[in-house]
Amino acid sequence: MPFRNRSVVLGGVGLAVLLAIPLVVTQPHPQHVLIMIFLYALMGIAWNLVGGYAGQVSFGHAVFFGTGAYTTTLLMTKAKISPIIGMFAGGVVAAGIALIIGWGCFRLAGHYFAIATFTVGQMVQIIATQWKYIGAAVGVYVPLDRQYQWWLTLQFKSKAGFYYVALLLLGAGLWLCWQIGRNRLGAYFRAIKGDPEAARSLGIDIFRQKLYALMISAFVMAVVGGVFAQYVLFIDPASVFDGALSIKVALVAVLGGAGSLWGPVLGAAVLIPLNEYTSVMLGSSGSGLDLLLYGVLIVVVSVYQPDGLAGLWDRLFGARGRILREKKVTADAAARS
Amino acid sequence: MTGVVLTQAILSGLLWGAIFALIALGLTMIFGVMDIVNFAHGDFLMVAMYVAYTANAYLRMDPLLAIPLVAGLMYLLGIVVYRYIIKRVLEAPSVAQITVTFGLGIAFRALAHFVFSADYRQVQHPWVEGRVQFAGIVLGAPELVAAVGALLMTALLYWFITKTETGWALQAVAQNKQAAALMGINVDRFFGVAWGLGLGALGVAGALLANFYYIHPDVGAIFGGIAFVTVALGGFGSIQGALVAGLIIGLVESLAGVFISPQLKYAFVFSIYLLVVFIRPKGLMGTT
Amino acid sequence: MNQKRLAKFVALFLSVGLLVTACGGGAKPAENTPAPAAAAPKEVAIGAIYPLSGPSAVAGKDLTNGVTLAMEIINGQHPELDLPQAKWKGIPNLGNAQLKVVFADHQADPNKGKSEAERLITQEKVVALQGGYNSAVTAAIAPVAERYEVPHLNADSTSPSLTEQGFKYFFRTTPHDGSFVENAYQFFDDLKKAGTIKGTEKIAMAMEDGLWGQDTAKSAKALAGKNGWNIVEEIAYSSKAANVDAEVQRIKAKNPEFVMMASYGPDAILFLKAFKGMDVNPKLIWGNDSGFVDTQFIKTLGKDAEYLVSREVWANDLAAKKPIIGQLNTLFKSKFGAELNGSSARALQGTLVLADAINRAKSTDPKAIQAALKATNLGAGDIVMPWKGIKFDEKGQNTLGAGIIVQVQNGAYTTVWPFDVAAGKLVYPIPAWKDRK
Repeated sequence: MPFRNRSVVLGGVGLAVLLAIPLVVTQPHPQHVLIMIFLYALMGIAWNLVGGYAGQVSFGHAVFFGTGAYTTTLLMTKAKISPIIGMFAGGVVAAGIALIIGWGCFRLAGHYFAIATFTVGQMVQIIATQWKYIGAAVGVYVPLDRQYQWWLTLQFKSKAGFYYVALLLLGAGLWLCWQIGRNRLGAYFRAIKGDPEAARSLGIDIFRQKLYALMISAFVMAVVGGVFAQYVLFIDPASVFDGALSIKVALVAVLGGAGSLWGPVLGAAVLIPLNEYTSVMLGSSGSGLDLLLYGVLIVVVSVYQPDGLAGLWDRLFGARGRILREKKVTADAAARS
Repeated sequence: MTGVVLTQAILSGLLWGAIFALIALGLTMIFGVMDIVNFAHGDFLMVAMYVAYTANAYLRMDPLLAIPLVAGLMYLLGIVVYRYIIKRVLEAPSVAQITVTFGLGIAFRALAHFVFSADYRQVQHPWVEGRVQFAGIVLGAPELVAAVGALLMTALLYWFITKTETGWALQAVAQNKQAAALMGINVDRFFGVAWGLGLGALGVAGALLANFYYIHPDVGAIFGGIAFVTVALGGFGSIQGALVAGLIIGLVESLAGVFISPQLKYAFVFSIYLLVVFIRPKGLMGTT
Repeated sequence: MNQKRLAKFVALFLSVGLLVTACGGGAKPAENTPAPAAAAPKEVAIGAIYPLSGPSAVAGKDLTNGVTLAMEIINGQHPELDLPQAKWKGIPNLGNAQLKVVFADHQADPNKGKSEAERLITQEKVVALQGGYNSAVTAAIAPVAERYEVPHLNADSTSPSLTEQGFKYFFRTTPHDGSFVENAYQFFDDLKKAGTIKGTEKIAMAMEDGLWGQDTAKSAKALAGKNGWNIVEEIAYSSKAANVDAEVQRIKAKNPEFVMMASYGPDAILFLKAFKGMDVNPKLIWGNDSGFVDTQFIKTLGKDAEYLVSREVWANDLAAKKPIIGQLNTLFKSKFGAELNGSSARALQGTLVLADAINRAKSTDPKAIQAALKATNLGAGDIVMPWKGIKFDEKGQNTLGAGIIVQVQNGAYTTVWPFDVAAGKLVYPIPAWKDRK
């Protein structure tokens, strides 16, 4: 009981700190780094549902990101629909695309699935590059909103506005993922990863569960894509359907800890500042030293913490509250029902 | 006229296909033995090309002559990378290999940039250059040499795996780690050998490619993706599979590019992969 | 259960927040406080964002070298140069404040370009931005400059759409691809008038499938119809392709007299090698700058680069008519060991234009600099580039820029058009591969 009280207090303080950061850290660049952390963490969480929980490693998640970015932007430029609605519309479109991709690719196992998602990602980029209606290779400029009517355009006068949007979305994503983790869906996902044969013999429709995982994941990715487009204000197939983005998202999740709720948050909190600040400090020399440091640090972290940073977190702060361990969650679920 | 165009398209497609196969050989070898996702494969190829370039620029060695040197150094690099890095993540969830090899790729690319700068490099005065012409068909001579090298290398590797004791041991390790260990095979050592051989084969590819292709730090990215698809299409771990898959990919790329649309040539390549794995979920010749 | 997690969440973000604050150099007000005009600053900083690593790194080096030289000309004493800024020892109207350039690397990634632009403006307190190079990255930098109301001078991104977005703080000194392609057709027309060609030549296009290549393709197609040229093959290819044999075979099958190309460094090399490898012999190959003129092109291809024709904004042989070009090239060569090329020269000119505007603004207030840029009116004698001058229209596009056309002859770029400034005669048709050497 005392522990719980302490947690509530700590949680409240933490939330207050998060909400107050933009008031204290008023520099746009650190705010940018934080926004990127939130958005990548959210994408990592999305990837984790499929790649971590259900164990279906995808290298094509940029497809959903790009779908969200394009749907949101085109709805705004062509139909004057606010991105706040548009990003969820993008989510729905992406979930539909996920249904098609999953329906095809979930027939494959392991690396064959991973490579299939990679090829689909590349193909979607090739198609987007040629599709005249969506601007083809030239991309789409998001019109600047000089009045900052954020409810219509999701463009804010101050960066803090975007910070809160990203934070809110991350919170929602964590909540969603946590809910999934503790209810039946999450247990199914993990069963698929742990022992598909046993899961099947228990009467779980594995194919359908994988589709659910991919569709939810795609939805979240697309929402981030939609927000991202309004942030960068220019999208083209080369940047939003980029295969490197697919891999970076997987990297965030895996570095943090595949299959753990907080893993992607940790992963993003380490990887994004690492990337940003090595290039800020060393990038202007153009010698490649920044990327050398970035690459080496990734290797070092993965070698010394192969099960992700979430594992390190546990080791440092005790096993209590170990995130989403199968046994615990099922026990919790059992206790609840 | 169209007959010539068709023949030309087929032949140059096969030529490049063989080169894709050669690049994929090392990757499928490592995959087959230890089921590891190596994201740095393209970058290792880049390293091999720079080794060949350095031998050419400083030791005046022709890339063809440098093949044993490049392959040897890459073999050592493979052993080192396995022993000091990959070995440590073997017990981790298989996705951890993504981050390790991805980080390695970035680091090698940046290292190349640091050492050689971003300039394009090119070997000077190679023995083989120019082109071979017959009946209206033109093929690049160094490409032809690389393709022949690819076939020889595939045959050599296949012979090694199926006919030598080391090869048998590798196969045993690939099929069942525990059983192999019980039979007294030093699994760890053979994992190292697999990495060495994989990168050694890639070294051959790097030297042959450096013979005619420009070299710069990002050159690996161009080939890495195709290598993955080649390996998957052929079936993970299958050496013959990689060869057949490479040839198919080269052929499809060339025919789709010439007769349908150059913009869509890779879309066709990737569709072929999807089509094949939908019918044969383990690739053309995969068993695992 | 959830509270415990929440606690960790909090602890984590506390640490991240602290880390970021520490890295960001603490909290400072976000506004750009313009320095009071009375107390002249010791130095004034501008930001330059270029691709210093990644696939465009070769160009990035050329560009930063150009900017670096400009900075030295402004800050140091170079009485030997026939340029207004050469007499300066810093910015005269700001009490000889030294011009400082803060470089940043965007790795050819639009999001990186955006975040670096933001960082330079708010943390490095730059009063103006220069750069982009890759058109897609420039497209992401421009809105940032617009938002913070800091002028963005672009000297090297040629996608026409960039000046069509209604940006008020975006200024482009270089002509864009629309006018470059127009130049190409004028060149063809002039060749026709001179009787060198008949005017019925078939043209094949091979352009990379990104923003820049496809913008070029669009202009090339639109203008071909207007000028009565016959495009027989249009190829959009991926600049990440491992080989371009299929593309080249298609070109070969159509047997065109002209090939028009828009390629980056690696793919320009691939194409030329494949032309040779497959014995494709057009009478003229026109390249849209970029990959065809970066410092590595001739170095890598050697003899095989001979006779290639490219649009340019710069050629060192123009020194005969404009001595400053020769002087700068000598200076550049002694510093960087490479010839001053179009990229370096345009970047150099860009920095000089910014310095000129800052000087006329007599202030480090970005808004005043923007106003000064708008009023820019430089004549042919005030600038480095072989242009009529620099003067921006309401879209921010320089209207006095001009392109030239060069041909690789004996391992150097030789101006062959416009005919009145040409330093050499166009070799036409270019010899077949088998007749070379």
